[in-house]
Amino acid sequence: MKSLLNPKGLIGLSLVTLFALMAIVAPIFIPEALSTKINVTARLMPPSFEHFFGTDQLGRELFYRVLLGAHTSLLIAVSAVTISILLGLPIGVLSGYFRGWVDHGLMRLVDTLLSFPAILLALAISAILGPNLQNTVLAIGIAFAPYLARIVRGETLKVSRLPYVEAARSQGASDLRIIRRHILPNIMAPVIVQATISVAFAILAEAGLSFLGLGTQPPTPSWGLMIQASRDYLDVAAWTALVPGIAVALAVLGLNMLGDVLREMLDPTFVSDA
Amino acid sequence: MKRRQFIKKSGTVAGGALILGSIPTFGTLAQSETPTRGGTLIWGHSETTQNLDMHQTGTASTGRLLQNVHDSILTVDSNFAIQPSLAESFEQSEDGLTYTFVMRPNVKFHNGKTLTAADVKYSFERVKNPETGAVNFEVFNDVEEINILNDLTLQVKMSRVNAPFLGRLAENGAGVIMPEGSGEIQGTTPIGAGPFKFVSREFGNEVKLVRFDDYWQGPAHLDGIISREVTEPTVRLTGLRTGEMHLINDIPLDRVETLKKDSNFQTLTWFPLSWAFLNFNHKRAPFNDPRVRLAFDHMIDKEVLVQGALWGQGEVTASPSFPSSPSMNTKLRARPQDFDKARSLLKEAGFGPGDLQFTFKVTTNYPWHVEATQIMQEWFRTAGVKVNVQQLTWSDWLSQCWVDRDYEVTMMNFFTLWEPDFLYYSLWHSTGAFNYRNVNDPELDKMLQKARVTVDKNERAATYHAIQRRVHDQSHDVVLWFRNGTVAAQNNVGGLDKLVHPNGSNLNFRNVWLKT
Amino acid sequence: MRYLLNRIALLILTLLLISVVTFVITNILPGNVATMILGTRGSPETLAALEQKLGLNDPLLTQYGRWIWGMVQGDWGTSLRFKEPISQLMGQKMLASGIVVVMSLLIALVLAIPLGIIGAVKQNRWQDTLSSGTALLGISLPDFFWGIVLILLFSRGLGWLPSSGFVSPTEDFWLALKHALLPAIALGLSLMAHLTRMTRSAMLEVISQDFIRVCRAKGLGEGSIIFRHALRNAVAPVVTVAGLQLGYLFGSIIVVESLFNFTGMGWLTYQGLLNRDMPLIQATVFVIAAVFMLSNLIVDLIYTVLDPRIGLE
Repeated sequence: MKSLLNPKGLIGLSLVTLFALMAIVAPIFIPEALSTKINVTARLMPPSFEHFFGTDQLGRELFYRVLLGAHTSLLIAVSAVTISILLGLPIGVLSGYFRGWVDHGLMRLVDTLLSFPAILLALAISAILGPNLQNTVLAIGIAFAPYLARIVRGETLKVSRLPYVEAARSQGASDLRIIRRHILPNIMAPVIVQATISVAFAILAEAGLSFLGLGTQPPTPSWGLMIQASRDYLDVAAWTALVPGIAVALAVLGLNMLGDVLREMLDPTFVSDA
Repeated sequence: MKRRQFIKKSGTVAGGALILGSIPTFGTLAQSETPTRGGTLIWGHSETTQNLDMHQTGTASTGRLLQNVHDSILTVDSNFAIQPSLAESFEQSEDGLTYTFVMRPNVKFHNGKTLTAADVKYSFERVKNPETGAVNFEVFNDVEEINILNDLTLQVKMSRVNAPFLGRLAENGAGVIMPEGSGEIQGTTPIGAGPFKFVSREFGNEVKLVRFDDYWQGPAHLDGIISREVTEPTVRLTGLRTGEMHLINDIPLDRVETLKKDSNFQTLTWFPLSWAFLNFNHKRAPFNDPRVRLAFDHMIDKEVLVQGALWGQGEVTASPSFPSSPSMNTKLRARPQDFDKARSLLKEAGFGPGDLQFTFKVTTNYPWHVEATQIMQEWFRTAGVKVNVQQLTWSDWLSQCWVDRDYEVTMMNFFTLWEPDFLYYSLWHSTGAFNYRNVNDPELDKMLQKARVTVDKNERAATYHAIQRRVHDQSHDVVLWFRNGTVAAQNNVGGLDKLVHPNGSNLNFRNVWLKT
Repeated sequence: MRYLLNRIALLILTLLLISVVTFVITNILPGNVATMILGTRGSPETLAALEQKLGLNDPLLTQYGRWIWGMVQGDWGTSLRFKEPISQLMGQKMLASGIVVVMSLLIALVLAIPLGIIGAVKQNRWQDTLSSGTALLGISLPDFFWGIVLILLFSRGLGWLPSSGFVSPTEDFWLALKHALLPAIALGLSLMAHLTRMTRSAMLEVISQDFIRVCRAKGLGEGSIIFRHALRNAVAPVVTVAGLQLGYLFGSIIVVESLFNFTGMGWLTYQGLLNRDMPLIQATVFVIAAVFMLSNLIVDLIYTVLDPRIGLE
């Protein structure tokens, strides 16, 4: 078994720790007002000693916005993935364990959702429920659930064919007990790996939704919203896009590296394309 | 209160030159040469055209293109006085109930037919018929009968006095005359009597127009126009810079000043294009309380808002009337920012600091509204009011705010070209068609009704002045600004000074030409 | 054969399900196309008249029936907002998106396969780090961010490629490709990342298998082992993923098309959605879903041909 103690693992771990800390600590020390303070006389200022990361089109400090944006973006991403697990795990386990018509029915549903363009689904959800933080979370969570359900189903199928599960069944253990004692513990590793990588994808999804104006609402700083706002000022103020863009890249990079190493550690045979 | 000082400081920078009326100002211009004929102009248009039927389409952007294909029966000059167009003359009877229009002889439609009174009757009845789905069908609500007196003379009889009737016909909507029987095909292949003929549309990409040689005012200079539909403002600007386009409209507000200084291009700025206001839902407490609405008026520094949200491309105003029109009340002044007054007004209404909290719905359809909202949000916070912003797509805004009236505070803008009855009655009468704020002021209702049946011009104007005063005093809404319109073009585009119609909204390419 | 029929029956069933879901969703969405057509010129009076005229007040079942009946007869209907026949609108936009999607798939494959091979062959050496680093970078940024960077670099900066718009290949083939190139790269980068990682792990798996060891023992050259034996076996899963992503690409094209002002299927879908144009939403979502599922089906078939060990379940 490999460990986290290799360059890739260490970089991943430290990036994730850094951003997690940023998300938790920054809101304690930086008042939100600093990130929403408008200054019409200092708009689109390039990064300098005075304006550390530069300012945006309303003269707000990108430094504070990107720091506090970590909180918004990661909160949304982690909550969304939690929802996708809450939805996808039971569907996947039921499908993989009971097979037969349960499996057929549930997988039709999952396929339908999968062949629906994910962004369309999210668009529809936030259009129906109204754009705000909770609904962004819900939209991403629901859009991600079918992928997770697919993976969980596959793992459950594999595990439930193992000899000791068969043995437990022949000894008359209840389905619930088998699922709780044998299936769930054995599929947790791939779920954790998938969750780590999904957080990365959720950060990107939040950015995409905000980019279309359907995610986080202003003036709350979020990375996606910042990139969206920078769109019209790219040629004159590239830093307004680069600052949040680099933040997204580093966080996602960290999560992906950590996910890779975790995957190799926990389950060397597991191959996922998600 | 550091924040306040910052914003205050920049407020003094605001102001700039005030350009009254619709006299365009130019960046670099040399317009004295004689026009040459020929060439196809490529226009980077800011919007995707919709249904091409001018009677059915409510979208200003589609109209902007089709104005070059169609002509109206009447038009207006820069003082908003009604002028003949396809009609050579028009007359209103003493009792104000009968209108007689004499059409110009030998006006040709694009299909080769000659304009007659029958085409006018057809067009009017088409708009009036609810089956058509015309946007302006209410213009003909009071029309009782339409009679053809002879080949070129038409008589319209009203059931009651309707002072705005002629003004509405001078707009490019209800007044557009289409050849008899052409209704079916107008949606995809519009034909009219305008200076350019419609050729084709590649949906979402471009629309092609060519010169109509038999145009009644004489043929245009250009061989044709290709309208490229490019909705991203910065992409449009790149198209101009690289020479892919001759002319673009709707310049990103933050670039106008830079572009004006650039000698490689000419810019045309006119004032005003549109006006904007902050809206309260009068059916939602506490916004039914005039003191609360007034308090919000006092929280806003309109000069800073024009700088912050419009990058200075506009002027503060307290009235939405077209500046040079007789109905404009020039005595009204926007209220200054005064947080102490705002706080005490809120206190009077029963709200201490932190007591009031609401959702501000704003549509992303107008990015500068989103910016304005964020700036105002900071001021409201300073005054002790917490605001949640909700960005809505255009369809969501329309259905939630405009149709269902489900909001607390929002903002919107309208074109300044509106006829005063249409503007004030629709927006502020308790039964007005566009009263999405649920304004219910009996005093105001009486004044609006009076203006509608007053035929005397001076008396009518005076009534509208009083109406504006009432809206301002009651803070029914907070009028914020007039926004400039800007187009930019290559230096080889001639006749740019004649591009914008006096009403400040229409773009007419008949007098535009390309230097060789 | 029976398998194929089964799959096709399932496909039709799922498509029906999708059309129902789409229909329900668009009906739950606030607002309708009439409010959009009228905009801020619409009074309650005009709105009611227009809704009546467009048949928006009919019972939902009637509306759905009308649509599905038209579809069965090959009539896609007319866009309510744009007044154009939908089949005509879509033909053109499918071509545009098709070009971008196929190009991005090609770009992804051309980059990913060599990168993946290098990563596997030089496992844990600097070449591997470089290859997986490139891959990681590809999936670490949203496609629209890559789009922004590409526009800044190749369009504004170097002036090599146009930043926006679609040109039909029948009009000017090379110009059409030029216009599609930047969106295709933006779209293809994350796919490239996936495929690189897939190729690498598939190669590693194959290399460690017995028959490769046999080859080595027989004294075959390393190059011949990699290209003649290992690659052929590793390519099947990569093709699978690539094919599966075809549908995914079609789905995620919305954002990229909007960024590049590229008027393809994603753009059209978004227009439909923004305008609440029911027939247009129905048609576009239906087509995108159909493309997605058909590509899945075809990939499964190719897969069984490439690797007969996988039985048809």
